[in-house]
Amino acid sequence: MSKSILRTNHLTKKYGNAIALEDINVSIQKGDIYGFIGQNGAGKSTMLRMVTGLSFPTKGTIELFGEDNPNKITDAQKRMGAIIESPALFSNMTAYENLEVHRLQKGIPGSACIQKTLELVGLTNTGKKKAKNLSLGMKQRLGLAIALLSDPEFLILDEPTNGLDPMGIVELRELMKKLNREKGLTILISSHILSELHQLATRYGIIHKGRLLEEISANELNEKCRQHLRIKVDQPTKGATVLESVIGTTDFEVMPDGTMKLYDYLGRVRRVSKALTEAGLVIEHLSQNGDSLESYFSSLVGGAGE
Amino acid sequence: MINQVKAELFKLQRNKTFWVLLFIATLLSALLHYLIIIDWWKVNDSVFVRAGLDELSGLTAFTTPIFFNLFIGTLAGFFISTEFSQSSVIKNQIMTGGKRSSIFISKYLIFTIGAIMIAILIPLLTGIFEVILLGHGEILNVHNLVYLSRAFGLYILQFIGYTAILVLLAIATEDSGKTIIFSILITIVMYGVEMVPNLPIISTIYKNSIFYQFSAVFQASMTNVDILKAILIAGITFFIVTIIGIVVFNKKEIK
Repeated sequence: MSKSILRTNHLTKKYGNAIALEDINVSIQKGDIYGFIGQNGAGKSTMLRMVTGLSFPTKGTIELFGEDNPNKITDAQKRMGAIIESPALFSNMTAYENLEVHRLQKGIPGSACIQKTLELVGLTNTGKKKAKNLSLGMKQRLGLAIALLSDPEFLILDEPTNGLDPMGIVELRELMKKLNREKGLTILISSHILSELHQLATRYGIIHKGRLLEEISANELNEKCRQHLRIKVDQPTKGATVLESVIGTTDFEVMPDGTMKLYDYLGRVRRVSKALTEAGLVIEHLSQNGDSLESYFSSLVGGAGE
Repeated sequence: MINQVKAELFKLQRNKTFWVLLFIATLLSALLHYLIIIDWWKVNDSVFVRAGLDELSGLTAFTTPIFFNLFIGTLAGFFISTEFSQSSVIKNQIMTGGKRSSIFISKYLIFTIGAIMIAILIPLLTGIFEVILLGHGEILNVHNLVYLSRAFGLYILQFIGYTAILVLLAIATEDSGKTIIFSILITIVMYGVEMVPNLPIISTIYKNSIFYQFSAVFQASMTNVDILKAILIAGITFFIVTIIGIVVFNKKEIK
């Protein structure tokens, strides 16, 4: 049984009468790279802020590393690293000094970890440059270095690619994969750009207007987005038989509304159509379908009462 | 807790505002004491004149809330408030699992040390140094040293009550400008309460506050009851304000 790193139970956050988050139940297991997707203002940062102790739930509980006692959760928070919204840096200190403050705060013995972390994020050449003089991408890397300094078991990154150039995004993605693979680091990464998470996340949580619409594994999502022929005939049961016996494929499924999704014969629509017609079936609909990740997200969000 | 204190100390050492204020305080204090010692600036009446320490009358300015607050209110703004507003580095401190009460106390402790250096130690040490340098060392006899020790000992106690108010203000406002303005307002209101005749109840409260004690502790002679009262007022102020500060910080949502 996999170990739970983060679990939220009916997490709700209100600001006055405005509901920022409502009844969120998220579950992240050890080793997950959890992509938290939602539009700007969907409530991603609000939730991450509560998990990291920056704000407090109006209702519901947070269980971190199995600890849900609000008075003891700070000990569990010591095992994680995070960047929320933007990297928080001392602008008049160098990259090294910024990490030194963090090292002292966490009581990490020896300063070897600073150089090691700077190397990990590719910031060894900043020298005496103050944080205020670093580029946006370098600041983001420094924020990441702060989050990684104490060798956390759980990393929370809120929109980490903001300010990164395309190469920087690729490097960040590779670094996350490497840390996840080699150190078993569990990662919660939020973004409003689905394609950004697609090559990284192993599970997704989709949030919209403060509500968690769906939690789905990467495999399930890929399955849902798989290209297929969408077929609707007057007799679905007979249609399925024709696909099996005449066309000779079992790579299809019959949906509750009688529609069939055929994952095979994508480039041979005529062949399928001919077989069905010759079997005396009336084809009501036949088209090649398949959501891109973006259109899947759009359809989900659109269906949530836009 | 000790880790948080070490981190705060590291930050204070690299705080530009702290060093600028320390430099200005040193310069102002040295100048003020020099002008008074060479009789260019005559101070006819002050608590130090009454205590027979005319040459140290320059300390009168530095022990007046409306004046020393300009230094330490600024330090509170740029050492504590900015961590909430401009840099948001307070987020890192909380996200790494630091207990909020420990964070508050460590900030208070290091800020108070910095404030004492700027507003008390520097003026006092530059004053004593110039008194000796300019040939008036004889005033530093046992009697006067006992007075200075007693007065500044009690003064530091009142001062740590005041720094607790400033830390609370800095954390509540989260803005360096507001912290400075509100701290100045507090000292102006207290000055007004002292100067303007008012209700007996207000007068009683004021006379039992650290703001009254800031000058009362420099009286040439104090009874044991006066000393005990000064210690109690400082202790109670420190205790109550610190508890309120911790509660406010514990409930604070970090933006």
